Amino acid sequence: MPLFRRLLTGLDAGFTKLYGSARNPLHQTGTVAVAMLLVLLGTGLYLVFFYRLGSPAASVARLAADPWLGSWMRTLHRYASDLFVIAAALHAVRMLVQGRSWGPRTLAWMSGLFLFGAGLVCAWTGFVMAWDSFGERLALEGGRLLDVLPIFSEPLSRIFAGDGPVPSAFFFVNLFVHIALPLLMGAGLWLHVSRLARPVLLPPRRLMWGIIGGLTIASVLLPASLGPAADPLRLAPSTPTDFVVAWWLPLVEGLPPSAAWSVILAPILLPLMVPWLTRRRREAGWAPSAVDTRLCTGCNQCPQDCPWEAITMVPRDDDRTTFVARVNPSRCVSCGICAGSCAPMGVGPPGRSGRDQLAMLRDITLPALAAAGTVPTVAVCCAQAPAAHHSALRVLGAHVHLVPCVGNLHSSVVELFIRSGAPGVVVCGCPPRDCLGREGPKWLHERLFNDREAELQPRVDRRRVRTATLAPGDLAGTVAAFEQFTRELAALAPPQPEWDTDINDLCDPVPLEEATK
Amino acid sequence: MNPVRILTAGAATAAALSLLAYASAVPLAYHPQDAARLRLSWSARPERIEVCRQLSTEAQARRGEHMRQRVECVGGFATYALRVEVDDRAVDESVIHGAGLRHDRPLYLLRDYSVPPGQHRIRVTLTRQEKVDTNPAAPAEAAALEADTGLYAGRSQREATERARRERAAIPPSLVMDTTFEFRPRRVALVTFNAGLRILELRAEALQR
Repeated sequence: MPLFRRLLTGLDAGFTKLYGSARNPLHQTGTVAVAMLLVLLGTGLYLVFFYRLGSPAASVARLAADPWLGSWMRTLHRYASDLFVIAAALHAVRMLVQGRSWGPRTLAWMSGLFLFGAGLVCAWTGFVMAWDSFGERLALEGGRLLDVLPIFSEPLSRIFAGDGPVPSAFFFVNLFVHIALPLLMGAGLWLHVSRLARPVLLPPRRLMWGIIGGLTIASVLLPASLGPAADPLRLAPSTPTDFVVAWWLPLVEGLPPSAAWSVILAPILLPLMVPWLTRRRREAGWAPSAVDTRLCTGCNQCPQDCPWEAITMVPRDDDRTTFVARVNPSRCVSCGICAGSCAPMGVGPPGRSGRDQLAMLRDITLPALAAAGTVPTVAVCCAQAPAAHHSALRVLGAHVHLVPCVGNLHSSVVELFIRSGAPGVVVCGCPPRDCLGREGPKWLHERLFNDREAELQPRVDRRRVRTATLAPGDLAGTVAAFEQFTRELAALAPPQPEWDTDINDLCDPVPLEEATK
Repeated sequence: MNPVRILTAGAATAAALSLLAYASAVPLAYHPQDAARLRLSWSARPERIEVCRQLSTEAQARRGEHMRQRVECVGGFATYALRVEVDDRAVDESVIHGAGLRHDRPLYLLRDYSVPPGQHRIRVTLTRQEKVDTNPAAPAEAAALEADTGLYAGRSQREATERARRERAAIPPSLVMDTTFEFRPRRVALVTFNAGLRILELRAEALQR
């Protein structure tokens, strides 16, 4: 997996260099797939009006020959289906490599597989609808494979043999599947994001319209080919094959049906087993968040910030009248966003709550910095970001303080660094659409600069605090942002260390020691 | 963004879209230049092989009213020996039977044989394996016709008619097609069962919608 992770980071870096981190399509694979579904629905609605069950090949040929709208609508429909498959496959690989395919995410993984499979079946039935040589090839192979299953009373392949016309009922069923599956996919998509708070379904507008515009231009300039009409008594020398959706065709054509099924079932069964193959013990870094009921004030902030809807507020069972947060471990992915959202630092994964973060600073980080004599500018960095960026910041003189996710960071940590004499603190997170905690950079920014609950206290000089993005492939951007920040810090008065800061000032009303016992 | 980066991104996007367009219609080889095929394809009912007997009036009386048949037949469906020869060389010799676990479904056949293009003698024979009388129910029917009176008058006649219809719809005991045919490259010659004429026939053009 580390190898795949490096490969993924390398790809990310390449795309960031090309398009910038905000519009990196690899960070948007899931939403791009949804956008393509919408394009497919739109173009499909147009195309279905011109499709004739009684003369499928002729009606599609007429569409393909219409240079004004029919040709490019049909081509756009095809290219969008290809891009849907590519984007969905990349999305799955990305989730797998980033370890987001097990535990609370099993439902999303499984429903994602359904969406991917349904998309492929839609694509196959779409090609069969055209009933050209490629559609016939797909139908023949599909029929051959289905005939070994006890489904049909008469072998399906026989209807393509040529001793009678292919019945309209076949094209009707094919069209029905082609149209009904996208409706089911709507339900699948709802299930897919049902465990997410505030699911993002579409890519940023510029990226989305850029992709749709690009596909439209390609559709006009490079119209999709249509093979000769299917004829069961002619042997086509070749077929214009869509490799994106029918890559398996040359692999299985020469095999007996049972062996062909093995080739097909392996890539189906293996992904189904991924949630079990990749699961981890729910301890250490993967332990679900816990609530310290003594500290919980019932403010209702952590349920609002949790990106997975894993926290609810319930009545307390003691004499206090407020509500208390309760974490549902089966939904908690241990992202730690709640730790940063809790002003009294009463919730978070074990060892990563706000109080744990302060205790680590007090016991390890700050003594080491004090021993060195001066406290440099601090770069609080997401541990998921590329190590090269961490190294570059160190070379530039920053003290790099790693956190599992910047959304996990409690604003008191930033305050403590500054009160300990750091000229400034820059918090460097992942690109917003590539955060493993989904909303880490967003909530961090709100807490530091827009007074979202668990906010950075007003006494902290905001000029000494900055957020930045560590995007693979944009090391220069990271360096430039840090250098700009240090230049601005240089213009400020030297910091006044408060080495005698009582950490319990930050832990009001329950002292740190008491809560971390 | 600087112009070089915009140009690079534009070029990369154009390349990716071109690749997508190419991948959506890769000319994938299917059949070789010199391929031609002989295809056997049909769907027909196999003959029913039965042993019939006439039930006595006493035997019928013991049955429920709705189950009183004058002639009762038991049996199964015929199996056939298929032999396909191309230029007097057997390319297939097999026994075929109706589909389904009890072989009581229609007999479906779909087989392809590679044949080099050119003129070839094709001989296809389909022969029933079971030896039976022409109409095993005839003696019993004859007797039943006389006895079938009163409330059940004409019933045996209707049963006989139905048996005859089934027999006509079934594959004959022996079918032979022997012909010489010019196989053109990349074409399929189809041998199928013409249910109307009850013969095997060869077609070179598909029936279009």
